[in-house]
Amino acid sequence: MEDLIFILSPFFVIGFGYLIGAYFEKQHYESIRKRERQTLHLPVVNYGCKQPLPEAREARLVVGEVVISPDAFKTFVLALRNLVGGRVTVYETLLDRARRESLLRLKEEAIAWGATQVLNVRYETATIGNSSQQGVASLEVIVYGTAIR
Amino acid sequence: MTYKPKEITEEVNISKIHPLTNLAQLLGTVVGVSLAIYIALGLAVDAIVPRIPIETEKAIGDSSIASAYLLLGGTPIENDPRISYLQELLNSLQDPEDKIPLTLHFLKSPIVNAAAIPGGHVLVTTAFLDEVKSENELAFVLAHELGHLRNRDGLRGLGRGLVLNLGWSLVFGTSGGGDSSVVGTVINLSSLNYSRSQESAADLSGLNAVIRRYGHGGHSLDLFKRLQDEETDLKVTEYFYSHPFSENRVKKLEKNADKNGWSMQGEKTALPQVFSQ
Ligand SMILES: [Zn+2]
Repeated sequence: MEDLIFILSPFFVIGFGYLIGAYFEKQHYESIRKRERQTLHLPVVNYGCKQPLPEAREARLVVGEVVISPDAFKTFVLALRNLVGGRVTVYETLLDRARRESLLRLKEEAIAWGATQVLNVRYETATIGNSSQQGVASLEVIVYGTAIR
Repeated sequence: MTYKPKEITEEVNISKIHPLTNLAQLLGTVVGVSLAIYIALGLAVDAIVPRIPIETEKAIGDSSIASAYLLLGGTPIENDPRISYLQELLNSLQDPEDKIPLTLHFLKSPIVNAAAIPGGHVLVTTAFLDEVKSENELAFVLAHELGHLRNRDGLRGLGRGLVLNLGWSLVFGTSGGGDSSVVGTVINLSSLNYSRSQESAADLSGLNAVIRRYGHGGHSLDLFKRLQDEETDLKVTEYFYSHPFSENRVKKLEKNADKNGWSMQGEKTALPQVFSQ
């Protein structure tokens, strides 16, 4: 009986991870969609080196950062995927959420400052907390650009 | 050019597949393939095990004897008058065709159990001897363990266990027990738990040896019959943890004895004096 509990315990963690993880993901997406509509009016534009930059009185750096961790379910699916290879579809939402959330934070910061546009936005990603064995690394996305007003 | 805000509603970056469907597909693939590999390796183990030379069997068994001590929760006793008696009884029960030298390990342990380890090692605990009332029933248990050795069930279990352990560590990153000793974990998980058919074969081989030794099978199953009556007795559960007990185990043996013309009636052989002390 104890052996059985020992063998099954990872599956409890995975099931728990799925339920909680899916709930938080749903909540997060609702928040993302709502805030994307709210910040839609602010243009985020990239200019090439030969294009004239728009007129501005002031400019400043705006940064959005986010760190998102996979749940036990996603980690388990990744471990299985590592055996056979292929697209890790459960991690796609993770990256998507991190990318959109970080841009939202950048735009919210810019709007609070009173920006009329954000210029030349760049993305950076990193994994942090990459503990050697278990593969529970968190995904970090940093986005930065130049806000003008 | 004026900026017209436009909401992007399609989710091109996220696959439409439901995470659980994805998991089911992955599990299906991985489980299917590993099952195929497991069965193939199982067949390979079954084919290889009978061909393993005795020297190799001894090398494997000798290296795992320490973990067997741990499993039976005891330390070996060196000086005890019962050891030479047990060793002689064990030797007298060995099939004349079997060449492997037998080593008896007598363990001081509160756990009621007896076990066989590859390489001719048979382990008996003090608590187990306390339960035994006659030489006949002791002989049957020893001969049953010899049956496991003869059929090399321990080696089979070791082979399959290694495969299982490897698979487990591939998926979860660590070995089953989180321990460095792979062989130790393997023994822990599987080698003392045999399948029902392996137990039946060992039972039959054991009874055969008892008949060869005493000329009859009388009183050799008394221990089992007694335990059947008091199945709730906690002290003896360990033995049946590694030797699944079923009511028809005794019936099956009696039926087989009948078929082979073995007498199941005969005189009881008492345990020697050293036991009554
Ligand atoms: Zn057995």
